[in-house]
Amino acid sequence: MSSYLPLEGIRICDFTAVWAGQSATMYLADLGAECIKVENPYIWNPMTRAASPRIDATTCRFIPAWMGGHPESDPGPRPWNNAPAFIHVMRNKKSFTVDSRRPEGLEVVKSLIRISDVVAENLALGTLDKLQLSDDEIRKIRPDAVILHQPGFGTTGDYIEGRGYGSHIDGVAGGTILRGYRDSAPLTNTQIFASDFVAGTHAAVALLAALRHRRRTGEGQVIEMAQFETAAQMFPQAALDAAWNGSEHGTLGNRSIEGFVPNSVFPCSGDNVWVAISCRTDAEWEALVRYMGNPAWAKDDALATAAGRAQQEDRIEAEVAAFTSSRDQESLFHELQAAGVTAGPVLNAGQAAEDPHLVQTNAWKRLPATDDYPETEFPIPPMHFSQSDVGLRTPPALFAEHNDYVYREVLGLSEEEIAAMAAAGHIRDTYDDTVIQSA
Amino acid sequence: MDALEGVTVVDLTSHIAGPYATKLLADLGARVIKVERPGGDGSRALGPFLGDEPGPERSATYQFLNTNKESMVLDLKRPEGHEVLARLVEKADLVVESYPPAVAQRLGVDYEALQTIGDVPVLSVTNFGQTGPYRDYQLSDTVLFAMGGEMWSLGLAGQEPLKTGGTSTLLQCGAMAGIAALGGIHAWELHGVGQHIDVPLFEVQIQSIDRRSSAILAYRFSGRVLEAPITPHAAPAGGIYPCADGYVEVTATFGNYWNRFREMIGAEEFSDPHWDDQSFAASPDGRAAADAIVYPWMLSHTRDEIWREARRARAMVAPLFTGKDLFEDPVLRERGFWAEIEHKVLGRLPMIGRPYVFEKTPWRIRKPAPMLGEHTAGILEELGLEPEEQQKLNEAGVVG
Repeated sequence: MSSYLPLEGIRICDFTAVWAGQSATMYLADLGAECIKVENPYIWNPMTRAASPRIDATTCRFIPAWMGGHPESDPGPRPWNNAPAFIHVMRNKKSFTVDSRRPEGLEVVKSLIRISDVVAENLALGTLDKLQLSDDEIRKIRPDAVILHQPGFGTTGDYIEGRGYGSHIDGVAGGTILRGYRDSAPLTNTQIFASDFVAGTHAAVALLAALRHRRRTGEGQVIEMAQFETAAQMFPQAALDAAWNGSEHGTLGNRSIEGFVPNSVFPCSGDNVWVAISCRTDAEWEALVRYMGNPAWAKDDALATAAGRAQQEDRIEAEVAAFTSSRDQESLFHELQAAGVTAGPVLNAGQAAEDPHLVQTNAWKRLPATDDYPETEFPIPPMHFSQSDVGLRTPPALFAEHNDYVYREVLGLSEEEIAAMAAAGHIRDTYDDTVIQSA
Repeated sequence: MDALEGVTVVDLTSHIAGPYATKLLADLGARVIKVERPGGDGSRALGPFLGDEPGPERSATYQFLNTNKESMVLDLKRPEGHEVLARLVEKADLVVESYPPAVAQRLGVDYEALQTIGDVPVLSVTNFGQTGPYRDYQLSDTVLFAMGGEMWSLGLAGQEPLKTGGTSTLLQCGAMAGIAALGGIHAWELHGVGQHIDVPLFEVQIQSIDRRSSAILAYRFSGRVLEAPITPHAAPAGGIYPCADGYVEVTATFGNYWNRFREMIGAEEFSDPHWDDQSFAASPDGRAAADAIVYPWMLSHTRDEIWREARRARAMVAPLFTGKDLFEDPVLRERGFWAEIEHKVLGRLPMIGRPYVFEKTPWRIRKPAPMLGEHTAGILEELGLEPEEQQKLNEAGVVG
């Protein structure tokens, strides 16, 4: 082995859904674990492979681009293989189908668990128990399993039945109330689902730590990650100011909680074009003033310190905006950085896709076309190892793509057994029609 | 036993992202030796402060980011400082640094330089990576979110784009660096391979799995650019509503979620068949009619009442908590979310607790964030420096 994969030899039996769970196992797959998605062709997991199994060119146009932007805005016959919101969390994974609710399906799942190191799930509370795959059952099959549960609001306490996506977790974790336009109620906030990203990364950290312990001691364990508690780690200033000082935080708009003045976005020439500027130090402020050509208003001694500038923040923002509004975004970005001011363009998705730095540093990997999407640049793991082959090694797992590999090579079923599983409808290359019609 | 028992991390990071990564390791049992420059990590000056009184040992942000670490003050600009660092690195299973690449080179803490001391994984938490046109550019939480966080589509059409709260963008990146750190430790322990690992903050944001990288992939697939909405409300109901004592977030898109939402409200008005007709319910008239039912209901209920009803009806509704709500919430208390620190200067104080619960290996606070240089003398002794050498370094201001 010359690829030095950090998780070489680790296998994951993956029941995860949506972003929070599917990204957690993806990061482990990035690091070399063999991640096998257990997919049930008779159940549609909401927000796991597409907005809907019936989404078509008409509905695509009515939903936001991040979810509706399928290839050519037309998902075709298999929307679950080309949703821009979900296909990218399938990289480095394998997918096989089985109806785990039927006895012979459950046996197959159990045989996978027997040779897996991690069992991961974030399904509705109690789903695995109903499948007769409680923690105790899993440990009967695999005593040293590392088991991950990612409930939204925990497995104990009054909130366990709480439902929600990342946006609802964002709210309870104390994040949403801190966003929004200044001096305005948070009613205009849009949903951003940051808690999914946070849940996925933290679950990966937890699993990596548990796997290290297991390698040294042979001991597996259960990890309960309540997503709202994880997401609350992202807003320590507000929570600790409340806990220590009884102070309540609201939105700062685009102003800085670190005391940087100015700190905001400013208009550039063009329509809806913006540059973000942060003066993190007094030296950065002086550099900004020099860059603006030392205007008289900015030479006021009262503005030499952040505390002084904070007194006149409205005015500073208005003056800087007046300066930037006739100038080019890209020039402002590069010239301000060269002048020693922390600044950057507010990039839209198109600009981000074409950003020269990301292109030159190989932040994307071009994957060949499949029946469901054209040749496309895909995101890669944002961590670069000089020795270990951490990266986008295999393309996103299409639904049922690895049935043959999993049944034959991983589970070692005989031809007769495979034929029987196929005849019973466990091995399929698409969702059952009833699912497509009713989900 | 702690999951990361026996792992020694030499932590050269500062501010927020790097320290959050090493905090994740320290809280699971790694020994993290935080090397602070003379004067200390700049994050000691970040508020809030206990009693609103600034001071290097009074920052809540610093306390949160550095639980369970040891602090050693070392001037890396001095050759003698480097000799001490070399001895430290020899003890390490992982070195983490967050200097801009040019500064790391100047200070001799880049991978090439550290490698000459010994084979060890080195994690660099950088703004833009080790190469490329933006390599030497600076970032703040806001500029990072502007460039990588899909800020452009956050906010309302016709107004300026909006950032997220606090410094969550940097903290998110710290969690990704935590994954990379543990990946490096696994490769080190499993294969005996030391290596350089780079986690660029810009890329972490761009590649985030939520609507950010989705929006970029959607652009590649369809040419569509994710726009800020004209109104945050999705018809017939959805978005944030005011209630008797705060706000709640609602998802009630047509289908199951809309049905459960109607059941939660339980209003007679929603039994009218036109609410099952998507073309009416999704129309402006439908939205207005729904608002006339939903707003009065929301305003006559508290957040607690609404969330209880939502859980009963399995509706996608949740309250917006403030920091104070998080601190006072009885369920979080009962679950043991809040931890405590016992600090020499600050006294006994609540601290944000565990992000996850391990069955066998604890997440725990063994000690509060270190005082500046609290562990310098002990570590120097451990490194085998004679008292006279220590004193010399002290007097020369190399250590503190």
